[in-house]
Amino acid sequence: MALLTVIGRGVRVRGRIQGEGDLTIEGHVEGEISVSGALTVDPAGLVGANINARVIVVRGAVRGDLTADDVVRLEEGARVVGDVHAPRIAIAKGALVRGLVQTGAAGTTASRGKTQEKAVPAARPASPPASAARRPVAAAPPVAPKPAAAPAARPAPSAAPQTKPAARLAPPSVLAGTAPATAKTPPPPVVPALKKGAKAALKKKAT
Amino acid sequence: MASTVIGAGITIEGEISADEELVVQGTVRGKVDAREGVTIEAGATVEADITAGPLTVAGSVIGNISSTDRVDLQAGGRVIGNVKATRITIADGAQFKGNVDMDV
Repeated sequence: MALLTVIGRGVRVRGRIQGEGDLTIEGHVEGEISVSGALTVDPAGLVGANINARVIVVRGAVRGDLTADDVVRLEEGARVVGDVHAPRIAIAKGALVRGLVQTGAAGTTASRGKTQEKAVPAARPASPPASAARRPVAAAPPVAPKPAAAPAARPAPSAAPQTKPAARLAPPSVLAGTAPATAKTPPPPVVPALKKGAKAALKKKAT
Repeated sequence: MASTVIGAGITIEGEISADEELVVQGTVRGKVDAREGVTIEAGATVEADITAGPLTVAGSVIGNISSTDRVDLQAGGRVIGNVKATRITIADGAQFKGNVDMDV
């Protein structure tokens, strides 16, 4: 009993609560909470604070980050908006959570989480361009040989639909140079691959 | 037992407003605003202006006290600050420095 602290239902605390021992919150607390023991937020409790404790048990409402050295337990009726870091985390059925939930040693997870958050966005932008760059290389060769066969294949409608998706996949870099040409001719994939002068040659043949 | 207890190991910096009994065993800095009784136990430290109902001080208070009821300063208790209350008792062995206003 000596080190037990209770913030009762009719009590509102604005500021910082810190120290040793266990803390039970049935009232309102706004600010910051840091205790060495267990912190319990009762169903009637309303907390708008970042919480640091060894054990955190939530049955009420918390807006703020929860960081525990041992375990965080979100029980039925818990409403948490904020990040949760602890070596062990339990979320019961009926508990609501919105935020980043991460298990791992409390001290290291904070830094790990940050580095991961930084690393992931960095990696994501890097990889899509790489794959995008690969795709056109792979897509271009199939398109290139077709024009030779295309004049003969024109009557067959199936050839055009097949080539269309290829053209869509082909990134702007491929279309950019030949965009006006594709716009002029209805079967778009046939034209871009034509060499300069090839059109003239075809016209000559036609005439 | 009072429903709100600030335990011995705990420090609160800020504002406490209570509609119920409040017992302080730890440390409070800032402001205490209570409608019901407040007990500051031996070993507790309160550096705050206190508004309360009946107030019992066995610990240390630095700040002005305003009570709608009585203030009991018990032996071993220490108050530095002005006290405004309808009734006041200061026990033998208590330390007190400040003005007393009793609404005479």
